Amino acid sequence: MATSTNGPQGLSKCVTLVSSDGFEFVVLREAACKSGAIKRMLDPKSNFAESTTGRCVFEEINGIILEKVAEYFCYSYKNRNTEQVPDMEIPPELCLELLMAADYLDGEYEYCQLSGHLLTDY
Amino acid sequence: MISGRGRGRIRPPRRGLTGHADNADFDALWDILRLALRQIHEKNASQLSFEQLYRASYKIVLKKQGNVLYDRVKEYEEQWFGSQVMPAIRKLITNNLVNITLGGVSGATANERRLTGEEFLNGLKASWEDHNTVMNMTTDVLMYMDRVYCTDNRKPSIFTTAMGLFRDHILRSRLSSIDSELVTFDILNSVVLDQISMEREGDIINKHLIRSCMYMLEGLYETDEETEHEKLYLTVFEVEFLKASSAFYQKECANLLREGDASAWLRQTKRRFAEEETRCQTTISPLTAPKIARVLEDRMIREHLSDFLAMEGSGIKAMIEHDRYTDLALLYQHISRVDTSKEPLKNALQSRAVGLGSEINKTILNTDSADAQVEDGGAVAGDSEKPKTQKISATARQTVAAIKWVDLVLQLKDKFDNMWKTCFDQDLILQTALTKSFADFINLFPRCSEYVSLFIDDNLKRGIKGKTEAEIDIVLDKATVLVQYIQDKDMFERYYKKHLARRLLLDRSESADVEKQMISRMKLEIGSSFTTKLEGMFKDISLSEDLSTGYRNYITNLGDADRNQIELSPRVLTSNYWPMESMGSASTIAEDGTRHGCIWPSEIQALQESFKAFYLKERNGRTLTWLGFLGNADIKCVFPKIPGKEGQLGKERRHEINVTTYGMIILLLFNGLDDGESLSFEEILEHTNIPQQNLAQLLYTLSVLPKCRVLNKQPPTKDVPKAGDHFSFNSSFASKSIKIKAPVISGSVNRVEGDEERKDTEDRNDEHRGSVIDTVIVRIMKARKVFSHQQLFTEVIAQLSQRFRPDINMVKRRVESLIEREYLARVEDAETPTYQYLA
Repeated sequence: MATSTNGPQGLSKCVTLVSSDGFEFVVLREAACKSGAIKRMLDPKSNFAESTTGRCVFEEINGIILEKVAEYFCYSYKNRNTEQVPDMEIPPELCLELLMAADYLDGEYEYCQLSGHLLTDY
Repeated sequence: MISGRGRGRIRPPRRGLTGHADNADFDALWDILRLALRQIHEKNASQLSFEQLYRASYKIVLKKQGNVLYDRVKEYEEQWFGSQVMPAIRKLITNNLVNITLGGVSGATANERRLTGEEFLNGLKASWEDHNTVMNMTTDVLMYMDRVYCTDNRKPSIFTTAMGLFRDHILRSRLSSIDSELVTFDILNSVVLDQISMEREGDIINKHLIRSCMYMLEGLYETDEETEHEKLYLTVFEVEFLKASSAFYQKECANLLREGDASAWLRQTKRRFAEEETRCQTTISPLTAPKIARVLEDRMIREHLSDFLAMEGSGIKAMIEHDRYTDLALLYQHISRVDTSKEPLKNALQSRAVGLGSEINKTILNTDSADAQVEDGGAVAGDSEKPKTQKISATARQTVAAIKWVDLVLQLKDKFDNMWKTCFDQDLILQTALTKSFADFINLFPRCSEYVSLFIDDNLKRGIKGKTEAEIDIVLDKATVLVQYIQDKDMFERYYKKHLARRLLLDRSESADVEKQMISRMKLEIGSSFTTKLEGMFKDISLSEDLSTGYRNYITNLGDADRNQIELSPRVLTSNYWPMESMGSASTIAEDGTRHGCIWPSEIQALQESFKAFYLKERNGRTLTWLGFLGNADIKCVFPKIPGKEGQLGKERRHEINVTTYGMIILLLFNGLDDGESLSFEEILEHTNIPQQNLAQLLYTLSVLPKCRVLNKQPPTKDVPKAGDHFSFNSSFASKSIKIKAPVISGSVNRVEGDEERKDTEDRNDEHRGSVIDTVIVRIMKARKVFSHQQLFTEVIAQLSQRFRPDINMVKRRVESLIEREYLARVEDAETPTYQYLA
């Protein structure tokens, strides 16, 4: 991924998500902003450290979960304009932790979906 | 699926977060946040990790300590306001500002006031903007608290609370340094109002700055509920603004009133409206626009409207008189703002229209009476011939006056129409009002029906000559408009018929097409009942033309060469279409009421018989009456050469003389006479049975006026022929032209009626109205059988008013007469007077 390419307002097009165990995931800024928390974190107006560096470190989310989250960002971004999209594959053992991550990252819709998964799977 | 928010939410497990170190944990986390808040306030956030802060607030909320966090943040903000923000603002509030707020006079000049005011506003604006940015960031960091703690506990979001804090700790904070009740708010209001009043006086102020402060007030609410109508802007500022504006404009209007120039008032008011509108858009808030407009309407227009309208020299009277269209247009705009019925404008316009109209009526009536006086004087002083010519010219002048009246009325109408179009936005209410006033003053003029008909007559005879179709259309339109105004339509119809009859029979009409257009216009505007008879007249004329041709062919086919000598172009008139009386038949009715025709010469009688035979062949059962008083004849005359005379008189002369039918009868009498024989006036009367008055006139044209003096009168004076005079053939008559048209004294030109004639017409009209009223009453009663007096009268008047202004007394008389004739009967024992129809 070309992290150096810049978006419209002089912002980098991509951002890096870093897990507690040091895994890094580079995703499109627009895709990552699906999460309310990440969106505010990167808001150039507020000028927090993350918005200048483009690196978001999540000290409470491990690599496996963050990978799934990143995957979800891409999946959701890719299908943003299409309807009737097949569900994303989510292993049942990750559900609970993903649910927590969704709550933390403020993904309302994802939270609901995961709760659904959780209820059907258990 | 589970709905996203609320009690059913699955919480992340508090694994590893619960424990004994709760308080210590919280304090550590709060310390992180507190430091961060400080840095945020100091605009130094770039070193902060959002994730860390977010996580701290996340953890606090998960530990169920959201309430503590919430309160701590609030507390922190309060402290910040108290220690950092307020002192800065207090510094900006100078004694001057306080004095102004307290209503006292400040020693400062406007410019100083403006500058200190702006400084204060700038400070307030800056602190508000800072607060906004800081709180946006804080809210972002504390998002998890807002999302979980606030929603679960139904608390206003931390942002709302923080806004409330600004309101309470900045705007509503006492100015403790000074011993008063003043709060920052009062200063803000007074500074803004002061600035606005400076702008009203013509100064330039920083609109943008004020607008920013107003944005602030629009973003704040009375309570943390944030209900729309509790915006501080509405509850605090706007009220004051409207109050101040109201006072300002009251004063301004009083000043304008003192200056006494309605035109200046109109312009100033317009300017103020525009100013306030822009002010709302650029300086305060668009929310206020309708309200301030209402204040202006009340103070500037409604309260003193009548005073301004009545102003001498610039009020509505002068505006109309001098065609001040811009003023009128402004006036219309202003009045429509305050009053949808536009009552004051309507009344003023109506009274002006009626006033100007009455002036026209008066001028024309004055010329009339002046002429009448000349006429009287001439009759007494001059000899018997002079008054005659004078009389003619007097009536001619009156005819001119009639046309002038119509022209003046039309000019007035144009003036008001133009005004209506350019100034009054083609307002329907005003149009109705104007129409009514025109109808009023036109109908006040006793001769309106006659004059309008004369005007049309004049135009159809001469006026349209050489005009394009479009121009003719305009003339016709105008004429139609006037006809609509006339209430006594029956009277108009009578005159129109009379004038039309003359035009048709004497072939005076310029264009049959235009005549028909006029009729169809009237049909459209007034109704077909009005025009059927007029159309009938046209039909008669065109049928007569066919008849002439038909008769000519008939004669040719008979092969009777003898009859061919006299050519006949008959006009067969249906008697109830044509106004016989006003065409001259009145003179043929003897005093006992019987009609007596003239005695036709034998040649003519033969011709009449022949035509009658032809006419009745296909139209059985009809009666033809020959009307000697109409029509004309071409007579070929041979004047013998006079022995011993040179030049013209020395030769035989043939002339073709065009005379009226009566004239023809008279001249034919002289056919049988020998040279030198003469006929007395009485003999002619006896042989022709022409009414005496007509005969005298005809003989005057044939024996006195030089143009066609084919008869000699004995004695040869220039008097009007009378009984005892003798007439003989003037064999020495000479003229340069072969065709001669005998002059006609009266009856062929449409002109104003004399007083007697008019009385006649009116009597006939009244008679006719009587029968119309009878018909209407009987028709109504036949349908209703029993009807109360009141209702009957209302109905009758409603039906009649399409044709004329019914006179109540006349209707009463007609009802009496119907009762006498046993069409109706009074119902004896009814509570209210009631009539019953007797079949």
